[in-house]
Amino acid sequence: MQWLIEPFALPFMARALGVLLALAVVAGLVGVLVNLRGLEFISDGLTHAVFPGIAIGFVWGGRDGLFLGAVITAIAAAAVLTLITRSGVASDAAIAIVLTGFFSVGVLVVSRQSDYAGQLDALLFGRLLTVTDADLWRTVAVCAVAVVAVLATLPGQVFRAFDRRGSEAAGFRPLALDLTLNVAIALVVVAASSAVGNLLVLAVLIVPGAVARLVTLRLGALFPVAAVAAALAAWLGLAIGFGASVGGDVALPAGSTVVVTLVALYAVVLVVRLVVDRVRRTA
Amino acid sequence: MLTGSVEAPVLSLRDAAFSYGGSPAIAGVTIDVHAGEAVALIGPNGSGKSTLLKGVLGLIPATAGRFEAFGVPRGAGAPHAEAAARASRRSIGYLPQSDELDPEFPVTLAQVAMMGRYRSLGWMRWPGRADREAVRDALEAVGLSHRAKARFGSLSGGQQQRGLLARALASAPRLLLLDEPFNGLDQANRDALVQTLRTLKRRGVAVLVSTHDLELAREVCDTVLLLNGRQVACGRTEDVLTLPNVQAAFAESGVEIDEHTLVVPGHHEDH
Repeated sequence: MQWLIEPFALPFMARALGVLLALAVVAGLVGVLVNLRGLEFISDGLTHAVFPGIAIGFVWGGRDGLFLGAVITAIAAAAVLTLITRSGVASDAAIAIVLTGFFSVGVLVVSRQSDYAGQLDALLFGRLLTVTDADLWRTVAVCAVAVVAVLATLPGQVFRAFDRRGSEAAGFRPLALDLTLNVAIALVVVAASSAVGNLLVLAVLIVPGAVARLVTLRLGALFPVAAVAAALAAWLGLAIGFGASVGGDVALPAGSTVVVTLVALYAVVLVVRLVVDRVRRTA
Repeated sequence: MLTGSVEAPVLSLRDAAFSYGGSPAIAGVTIDVHAGEAVALIGPNGSGKSTLLKGVLGLIPATAGRFEAFGVPRGAGAPHAEAAARASRRSIGYLPQSDELDPEFPVTLAQVAMMGRYRSLGWMRWPGRADREAVRDALEAVGLSHRAKARFGSLSGGQQQRGLLARALASAPRLLLLDEPFNGLDQANRDALVQTLRTLKRRGVAVLVSTHDLELAREVCDTVLLLNGRQVACGRTEDVLTLPNVQAAFAESGVEIDEHTLVVPGHHEDH
């Protein structure tokens, strides 16, 4: 069992785990709400929309500017997206067009850089193992803001997820709730982009919530179950990636290994769920 | 115990109209509703019953006439009508027409009823003892205490309807708006709902209920408001609910009428 613990004595592995554990907590909270509200598509859109922010921030300010640029774009994108979906004019197609447009602008910006391929690689696929202490604390801070925003509005969010019209009739403000949740999603995208990369952010947001839905029917249990699933996948994935590159001499990208582990966890839970349901039905 | 005539009415409308924009969906409504009084809204489909309820709730704007709820003016041109409407929703319980709610949503009946308390929770506060007691009372009032821990989606349609009524009751409303709550209910659920309404009236809750069930109007409602795009008649149930009046309200709507029920074409009465 040592391969599960020993690697994290190394500072860079401990930092990577720290980033992923912070993400696991927000994935538990925000991810479950994304699942309950069925906001997977908007979340996908936000991951694209945040990309030019990351790119422009990086070009202007290097690694330090990256976070600020990303946060500003994320909040702006969340606001625009909230208004587009609220107006009811825009179809899914319109959202998709606007956001892939954002994404190509990001690629264009990055392409002006000298080390184009290397930087695009880092933005798209993350650099989990070269995370600095400053990166770690910035991630924790951004995650904390997202958690507080969602916790402050949690009753309204749950009510709206269950019964949209009922929550409005009870006096909740739909715009305020949607804006808060979309900004929180956008902040998670920013926090997760530097870890697992912009392309795989969606997995962090969506898979833990989906795992939790398979495991429990109890509302209060969904949030901790999702967080534990994400944390477990982070730990296993990092350990597997480390073991493969040190023991097996196969260099696996850490972020992708974690996401594959998370998806594998989902597959295992899904199979168990199907088997349990079948046994119960025949019993 | 006729104190109603002395107290200020909970809801007061004078020639009021409500509109989605364009011509009013319901106009010319004049009525005072007092604490402990139940009013039946009766009229054909599209006669403005739901619109009137949504108007009182503030989801649809008042475009003409006078409109006061809990003594606060909210009619056309009233200052801060939007904010006043949202504030008033804390004192209003609303049961919409049976809605498509996700049967897979992971909530228990008690958690749904607790949603009625969410609006009055403070910032970053969790439900406390008073909230749990209110939920327990609300579930008891609709006769579903024994199902509190059941998953909402596993309840029958009638029980879900009563569960949503419990959610409306949990907020301790002074005014209850029910939009065709008896649609698709079997006899047992219907009787339970009638009992609940009687209890609420005794506790001083004012009730506005839209229904096609004339028998129900006679059983629990003091006042009947007949609608057909505008107010046709309004008054004590026994005075208003006469065959000629009902025929006038339902003229041209292709409804078969006898003394007790309305048979509305295309209106599902399944269970």
